[in-house]
Amino acid sequence: MSKHDTPMLDELEKGPWPSFVTDLKRQAETKPECWDILGQLELSYEDKITHWKHGGIVGIFGYGGGVVGRYSDVPDRFPGVEHFHTVRVNQPSSKYYSTKFLRGICDLWEKYGSGMTNMHGSTGDMVLLGTRTENLEPLFWDLTHDLNQDIGGSGSNLRTPSCCLGQSRCEFACYDTQEICHTLTNHYQDELHRPAFPYKYKFKFSGCANDCVAAIARSDLAVIGTWKDDIRIDQAAVKEYIAGNYPANAGAHAGRDWGAFDIQKEVIDLCPTGCMSMEGDELKVDNSECTRCMHCINVMPRAMRPGKEQGATICMGAKAPILEGAQFATMIIPFVKVEKENEYEEIINVIESVWDWWMEHGKNRERVGEAMQRIGLANFLSIIGVDPLPQHIREPRSNAYIFWRDEEVPGGFERDIVEFRKRHAA
Amino acid sequence: MALSKEELKAVIIEKAKKAPKPQLYLKDFYKCDPDSKPRIIKNIANELVREGELMYWSSGSTTMYARPDRIKDEEGAQGVND
Repeated sequence: MSKHDTPMLDELEKGPWPSFVTDLKRQAETKPECWDILGQLELSYEDKITHWKHGGIVGIFGYGGGVVGRYSDVPDRFPGVEHFHTVRVNQPSSKYYSTKFLRGICDLWEKYGSGMTNMHGSTGDMVLLGTRTENLEPLFWDLTHDLNQDIGGSGSNLRTPSCCLGQSRCEFACYDTQEICHTLTNHYQDELHRPAFPYKYKFKFSGCANDCVAAIARSDLAVIGTWKDDIRIDQAAVKEYIAGNYPANAGAHAGRDWGAFDIQKEVIDLCPTGCMSMEGDELKVDNSECTRCMHCINVMPRAMRPGKEQGATICMGAKAPILEGAQFATMIIPFVKVEKENEYEEIINVIESVWDWWMEHGKNRERVGEAMQRIGLANFLSIIGVDPLPQHIREPRSNAYIFWRDEEVPGGFERDIVEFRKRHAA
Repeated sequence: MALSKEELKAVIIEKAKKAPKPQLYLKDFYKCDPDSKPRIIKNIANELVREGELMYWSSGSTTMYARPDRIKDEEGAQGVND
C-alpha cells in the first residue's frame, strides 16, 4: 500500500521498459523507507529542486572515503530517508563474483541498508544506496570480516581502480589487466582510503583499444593495451571471410541480413589511417601507418590479431563535464611494457611523478586533465620527464606546441647579430 | 628547514582552529610549512584524524578537514568530541 501519492512518478511505470519506480515500490514492501524515497522524489518533481543534501562528516573511522553522506532536507515529511548515505564497495577486478558473494552483499544490505544497490557506479564500485549513520560501522565490520571486501574510494582520494575482463576471457588483451588492477589497488591503499589530492584521481585498465572500461574517457590515468610490432594476419582466414564462410564481427550482427561481407566497404574503407589494401587476394597492412584501433580485428577476429610485442599506451587527463566540458585523455606515453616481474615499476614511476607535481601545484578541485590544459602539454611533459614525441602532435601543423629551450639547442640561441647582418641585410 | 612532525602537527591544529572557515582543503595546510613536502603534510593531516584532532568532511567528490568542535554534522549534533 503506497504511503504517498506519486502521480508523476507513476507515469514512469508506463511503457514496455523497466521502471525504477516499479522496482522501488517492490522493494518498499519489505523496506518501508523506500516509500519515502518515492515521496521525496515526487516532491522534487513538484518543486523542481532536489531535496537531498550531499556531504558531511559521516564515514568509517580512519577512512577518508567510501561513504558519501546524504540527508533529506524534509526529514519531517520523509523520516525514512532522513539519513540516506551511500556506501561504495571496492569491486573485484573485472567484476567477477560468485553467486554466494552476491547473495552475501544483498543480505548485508538488506540488514543494514535500504536493500537498493547500483551495480555498478561509473567508477566501478558496487554502490549500496541508503543507510543510517549508526549502521555504517557494523556494516563495515561484516563487509570486511564476513565477505573479505573493502570499501572503495570517494572524495579527494584515489578512486577504486577498475579494469576490463582482460586475459581472463579476451584473446585480444595485450596485458593482464586484472593483475595490475589488483596489484595497484593493494599498493595504493593509503591513497585509496585517505584523501591525498586536490581532487579525485582515477585509474582504469583496458587490455586493448576497444577500451571496454572507457578508460580514455573516464580516467585520469588510462592504461590501454597495444602492440609495437606488426599486426598478425592469417591470409587463409581472410579468404574465408571474403568467401562468406566465417561470419564477420564474430556473428555479432547476424540478427539481420546485411548482405554479403564486403571487405573493402566494411574493413579497408573504414580504417582510420587508410593503411589497408588488397593486393590480389591478399590483405596488406602498412604497419607504420596502423593506429592500432582494433576495427579490422573486431570485424575479422579469426584473421587478424594484435602483434606479439605487447604492452600499453598511457593516456592522461580524461574527465566528465563538470567545469569545461568532457575531455578525453591525452596520449602521453605511446608504449610501455606492463610487467608484473618488476612490480609495474615503470608505470608506478609515471603515476607518482604526476602525483608529486599535481599534489603541489594542482588547484583545489582541479583534475589532472585541467591542470595539464592550464600549463600546456609541453610544460607537463617536461615536469614528468617525458621527451616530446611525434605521437604527441594531434595533427601536423595544428598544435606545434614544442619550443626548444636554449640549453637543448647546440650552441644555444645566442648569435652574433653583426655577423648575421653581413649576410642578411635588415 | 622543514618543521618537525610535532611542530607541524601543532601548526596544522592551530590553523584548523583559527581559519575563517571551519573546513579546509589539504592544500591549505601546505602553507603551514612551505619546506615540507605535500606527502608529509598529507600523512600528518591523516594522522591527526586518527588522533581525533581533525575530522574529514566530504561532499562525495572532495574531502576537506576540520576541527571536530568547529563543524556541525548534518544530524544537528555538535562535533563528535562534544
